[in-house]
Amino acid sequence: MSLDKGKIIEMYKTMKRIREFEVKAQNLFAEGSIPGFVHLYIGEEAVATGVCANLNEDDYITSTHRGHGHIIAKGGDLRYMMAELYGKSTGYCKGKGGSMHIADATKGILGANGIVGAGHNIATGAGLSAKYKGTQQVCICFFGDASTNQGTFHESLNLASIWKLPIIFVCENNLYGISMSQSRHQAIKDISDRAVAYNMPGIAVDGNDVFAVYEAAEEAIKRARNGQGPTLIECKTYRHRGHFEGDAGAYKPTEEQKEWLEKDPIPRIEKFMIENKIVIEKELEDLRNEVKGQIEEAIEFANNSPYPELETAVNDIYSDIVEEVRVR
Amino acid sequence: MIGIIANPASGKDIRRLVSYATVVDNNEKVNIVKRIVLAAQGCGVSSIFIMPDTYQIGYKVIEDLTLEKRLSAKVDILDMEMKGSHHDTTYAAKLMKEMNIKCVLVLGGDGTSRAVAKTIQEIPIIAISTGTNNVYPIMMEGTIAGMAAAAVCFGYGEKNIKRDKRIEIYKDKELLDIALVDAVISKNLFVGAKAIWNVENILKVITIKSHPASIGFSALVGCKQIVSEDEDYGLYVDLNNKYSQLIAPLGAGIIERIHMSEPKILRLNEEYVYLADTNGVIALDGEREIEFKQGEKLTFKITRKGPVRVKVSEVLENAQKSGFFIR
Amino acid sequence: MKKMTYAEAIREGMRIKMQQDKKVYILGEDVGAFGGCFGVTSGLFEEFGEDRVRDTPISEGVIIGCAVGSAATGLRPIAELMFVDFLTVGMDQLVNQAAKMRYMFGGKINMPMVVRLPAGAGVQAAAQHSQSLEAWLTHIPGLKVVYPSTPQDALGLMLTSIEDDNPVMYMEHKALYAMEGEIEEVKPIPLGVADVKREGKDITIVATGKMVHETLAASEMLIKEGIDVEVVDPRTLFPLDKKTIFESVKKTHKVVIVTEEHKRGGYGGEISAIISEEIFDELDAPVVRIGALDTPIPFSPVLEDYVIPNYIDIVKAVKSLV
Repeated sequence: MSLDKGKIIEMYKTMKRIREFEVKAQNLFAEGSIPGFVHLYIGEEAVATGVCANLNEDDYITSTHRGHGHIIAKGGDLRYMMAELYGKSTGYCKGKGGSMHIADATKGILGANGIVGAGHNIATGAGLSAKYKGTQQVCICFFGDASTNQGTFHESLNLASIWKLPIIFVCENNLYGISMSQSRHQAIKDISDRAVAYNMPGIAVDGNDVFAVYEAAEEAIKRARNGQGPTLIECKTYRHRGHFEGDAGAYKPTEEQKEWLEKDPIPRIEKFMIENKIVIEKELEDLRNEVKGQIEEAIEFANNSPYPELETAVNDIYSDIVEEVRVR
Repeated sequence: MIGIIANPASGKDIRRLVSYATVVDNNEKVNIVKRIVLAAQGCGVSSIFIMPDTYQIGYKVIEDLTLEKRLSAKVDILDMEMKGSHHDTTYAAKLMKEMNIKCVLVLGGDGTSRAVAKTIQEIPIIAISTGTNNVYPIMMEGTIAGMAAAAVCFGYGEKNIKRDKRIEIYKDKELLDIALVDAVISKNLFVGAKAIWNVENILKVITIKSHPASIGFSALVGCKQIVSEDEDYGLYVDLNNKYSQLIAPLGAGIIERIHMSEPKILRLNEEYVYLADTNGVIALDGEREIEFKQGEKLTFKITRKGPVRVKVSEVLENAQKSGFFIR
Repeated sequence: MKKMTYAEAIREGMRIKMQQDKKVYILGEDVGAFGGCFGVTSGLFEEFGEDRVRDTPISEGVIIGCAVGSAATGLRPIAELMFVDFLTVGMDQLVNQAAKMRYMFGGKINMPMVVRLPAGAGVQAAAQHSQSLEAWLTHIPGLKVVYPSTPQDALGLMLTSIEDDNPVMYMEHKALYAMEGEIEEVKPIPLGVADVKREGKDITIVATGKMVHETLAASEMLIKEGIDVEVVDPRTLFPLDKKTIFESVKKTHKVVIVTEEHKRGGYGGEISAIISEEIFDELDAPVVRIGALDTPIPFSPVLEDYVIPNYIDIVKAVKSLV
């Protein structure tokens, strides 16, 4: 693993951008500016960042209901993301998707997804596309621990393995499927064990250490680009918030929360950067402010954007058919 | 009374990706512990203590064997708080020491044995490898390990145990950590995915157990010079392009070409001082552990304060001669 | 002009598009050297190779999901499900992903995929291999649904379905595979254009799939009794060619709708409702629906024949109206 100073700073900014975006989303949801459901990525920033720092713009990702982090790490535009959370016409999906469906095909982001486990299947298609066309692209499939109990997980790892598809299955094991702890929802602890059944490498890394994630992803991606097929990487991490905003997470033991807060990936990388003289405290502060400014700008953009015109509800269903406008 | 420490996290690191190492799933570890328990119990051990772990290997063993009505020994899980890290192993070893357990079986990789060796020095241990990358623990059938532990328990092992060496790492006279096989100094800044596997950035290797019939950086030294557990010294080498080249098994299925200096001998209790001219990381027994900064002075010392290791085959031979199996 | 079977016409449609466009590929269970459970893809593996005619494991979810992912990233997959009944296993990928991705993503993604769905009863395949699930599909905004009844339509609709940038559900009746028909021209048939399979003046029968042939048989009997039936085959269930149906109703003022689905909740009910809502004044009698009984499809040939509608049911229904 070789990372230069610029890359480390870039990764820090991405992590911080995700954190700041999510903290703001949390507040904006609480005050009623963001409707619907939001599932926050706070605490898991190192995973998306460490993985996506290895990607090219034309590489693909599939994401989950907890997708903001993946999209930011893959280069999603904060303004269009925030506007989408607000349900505004300038959002990524023109206000038709919301938090759980943000996508940007131009950056290979094949969508957050409201169905747990659906991304696994879609990733096989993107992986096949890359292999079929003979490009060097890879597809990263992000998913959580609980989704590995869905049939889609097993179908997709199996297919990816027999077809040697360039896919990296990145499991964010945050220890919970909604309120059900991992020890209650599956009879294994290390999801990486499941790789054995599909004849692919399976490894577990500290998902709160961005460099550990980076290193594992770097090797897996190299393998995939070389035509050696898929890998399963399990990143052990923790979601600081509830499943969605509004869920107080009473099922998470206090001790456990405390322990994981101490492993928060952001102070960890900050400490590393200071100790290794990547930045001095003042520069770190500047970086934080720079990111804060970007988020503020995104919120302002969202605030100033109009809601969609009602007639737009009936288009975009098909490429060529516009449904009838409702007559009341 | 025997103790079992099984590490649920071993056998899953990045070596599965960068080499051809095996993924060892936790259910197999449960099976191995079951075989140990049944064998020890069959040889007369009546009390067994198991370290609790996040996968609950011990509880699963007790539950399954109880359901199957196969359990006659008293099997208990140590009453301790879990952190889900190597601290659990070290702490469990400490408890076992305090309980006066007669033999401790350690399942995991080199790192697991190292964590045990931090606190256990007098109790004989049987280190069982649950992977393809290990030097200190060896591949062994659980049944046999359980029988040997029982034999030790009943006093048949006194002549068949051996105190191993260890590498002690000091900073400012303070003991930072120990290693049972090797210490690798790398100018890589990152602890990252923990396991050390890439020869790039590696400056020095210090080893107390080198042999070509093993895997990793100690094997690299072993491809030039062998040092066994019994010999009262260690070896250290520099890796640098100016030296001549050799091939060595750096990982499972990975034979690499490496430029390495002639091994130098480091005698028991002699100090080797490394003055860091860059920031970096020291890997102990294959895992990146200690971060150091430019200008720091690190001292390496080889001592014979390692764990007491059971020579499984010899213990069982001795037990056989003494009629242990005649019941 | 040449003759082709229904199965050959489907295959010919796929072959033509595969020759024209390298992005078109087939995936499904045993579609490769084995040629598909009903032989529909036979010979394509030899012609196009294993990259383009891909055998998949028996995993309907990932068959559809892989089609979705590859369509979203620029390929034009044709996914074959061995039986429409197996759609149940992959329904999430179809309903929540394929159908909705364009809309959810603000219209910024194309989903050019075809799912081939062998449907219908009549081959003693019993309850899990004989259904007609078109109502499930037409209910979902984002899907298009076609259901050819002749080799000519099968060929023309396949060409169009593959060219379409939306997910097209291509229903094919397995009892029709061996049916031969004239191929007048190799030309795409636009979606949403019905075909009047028989012109008549007394009564309109809207029929789909195999029921088109039962209706034509019934019409031959009825004409002997002086009842002149007009048979409208929508060919595409969504988008539906309301215009052609309405024109026929305006001429005959009486409608029977014949589909093979269970009558309860079937798409036939939707067609009936559209007619009643939009051109009620043109009707001289209530719309009559004929469908399968609301039972699972039984195995025994005598029971299966009893449950599935046939020309006798149609003759009876028509006579009750005139």
